[in-house]
Amino acid sequence: MAEAIATQGLTKLFGPDIRAVDGIDLRVEEGQIFGFLGQNGSGKTTTVRMLTTLLRPTAGTARVAGVDVIAQPAEVRRRVGVALQEVGLDELQTGREVLTLQGQLFGLSAKAARERAAELLEVVTLTEAADRPVRGYSGGMKRRLDLACALVNDPRVVFLDEPTTGLDPITRDAVWRYVQELNRERGVTFFLTTQYLEEADRLAHTVAIMDRGKVVAEGSPAELKARIGTDVVALTFAGGELAARAEAALARLEGVQKVLRAETEVAVYLPNGAAAVPAMVRLLDEAGAPAEELVLKQPTLDDVFLQVTGHHLQTGEGAGGAGAAAGTKLAGGAP
Amino acid sequence: MIGVRATWLLTVRALRESLRQPANEVANAFIPLFFYVVTVGAVGSVAREAFGVSDYKGFQLPVAVLQGAAGVASGAGLAMTVDIQSGYFEKLALTSAPRLALALGRILADAVKAVVLAVLILALALLYGSGFETGLPGMAVLLLATFGFALAYSGIGVAIALKTGSPQAAQAGFIIFFPLLFLAPTFAPIEIFATWLEVIARMNPVTYVLVGMRTLVTDGWDWPALLKGGAATAGIGALTLSLTVLALRGRVQQ
Repeated sequence: MAEAIATQGLTKLFGPDIRAVDGIDLRVEEGQIFGFLGQNGSGKTTTVRMLTTLLRPTAGTARVAGVDVIAQPAEVRRRVGVALQEVGLDELQTGREVLTLQGQLFGLSAKAARERAAELLEVVTLTEAADRPVRGYSGGMKRRLDLACALVNDPRVVFLDEPTTGLDPITRDAVWRYVQELNRERGVTFFLTTQYLEEADRLAHTVAIMDRGKVVAEGSPAELKARIGTDVVALTFAGGELAARAEAALARLEGVQKVLRAETEVAVYLPNGAAAVPAMVRLLDEAGAPAEELVLKQPTLDDVFLQVTGHHLQTGEGAGGAGAAAGTKLAGGAP
Repeated sequence: MIGVRATWLLTVRALRESLRQPANEVANAFIPLFFYVVTVGAVGSVAREAFGVSDYKGFQLPVAVLQGAAGVASGAGLAMTVDIQSGYFEKLALTSAPRLALALGRILADAVKAVVLAVLILALALLYGSGFETGLPGMAVLLLATFGFALAYSGIGVAIALKTGSPQAAQAGFIIFFPLLFLAPTFAPIEIFATWLEVIARMNPVTYVLVGMRTLVTDGWDWPALLKGGAATAGIGALTLSLTVLALRGRVQQ
């Protein structure tokens, strides 16, 4: 299958010391939904900005939709659609005017741009509000209009940088349904950064995890979860001291592959979690560190993220895996 | 051709934006008209005896026109910072339009607005009793010169806006104009200036733009003065366009 996006050694330095993106190699096949996960500051957005020609790479190569981003940036822009993290709209124009202008700037005739705008307004259910100034739109309406702008040139590759951040669950779901529909029915490739791991798990064919400018894991969500190869027992304690005591005790348990602690939470990775729970409870009693909550679960992308980066992914409201503590660094390691 | 079309589309968008915020344009018109009326009221009656200017209303007319053009021209920078801060600038930069069109669309819109304002100032000045030696053809040349000056001058605000993204800094475009205007023969002919001020005024490009425009109003067709004004405008334009291109490159391809 042809590559929609391919990078080799892609690097971006800001000044001599800040290595925002550190020689990443990515390969996204045509027709995929590619999820790009990482903390704030991990280099996701810088990567998107380089791939969409808003930033010039310091080193390395990148091809998007078959075109070199450094040698032919204008041609790349012609072939891709982009919705950046911040919704960028002219609030004095109406939704219809924003879309029509966007289409014309992509080279459509006035008539074709008007028709395309009407079609997209219908798709993002903004037809009724189309002739009102954007400044009167709600956050969700603006996000939908922004998404429509990214599709105005009928792109083969679409970059969505945190497209659902700040959206209510219903609008978020509608956006994802539309992304899936475009991907399934028209073969559009999506490169999306997201902080919602459950959504990435559900939607993305392939996921890459970025940490401190490097890709630290890549594969399908199922593959990545299978790499953990264990169950996860997530425990919550009344205080940090108890959690630390529990961490030390649980590390001695037979079969445990890894114990990680984040403040009052401890995650234990082991092959047969259900069988080990009684012994685990005994050990905690002996250590004087009873758990307030114990959850046995199959690995999630959050567990994968935790294992490869050492910390949970910073998440917004209602997102992320169970027990995910926002941006907390975990201590610990294999016993 | 793509660049011309994109520039035009963005010019129309910027003009539409002005129509939707008329209060901004009222302020742009008020300042030069206020200074025009006040200056003529204060100095007009003694201008003939003091420095031999019989039509002081005409003498001040190009000052008001330039002041209006500079005020309008600083709007491009300010509007550009709004686009930058809202993220709309990047949305436009992600289209296949040449990126220079993003700056030129704004600049061209300001030049059009400066001409509309100049027509208003001219009409009011004529009603107020100003003469105009070169008649209708001269008025057309005055408007053309205004268009050129606004085109050249708005590059300062746009370049600052692109470089800094800061509305406060972008307004410096207008602030810079005041020393340039006051170091030109704004209130009196250059011949009566103190030597040090005359030396500075003769190095100031705004002097030549102003004097060129003024000859159309008070003297008649003075081709050398008009050519010098045109050359000064072209010089300002070359400088500001270069700065704009550099700032644009810096913003979209850091």
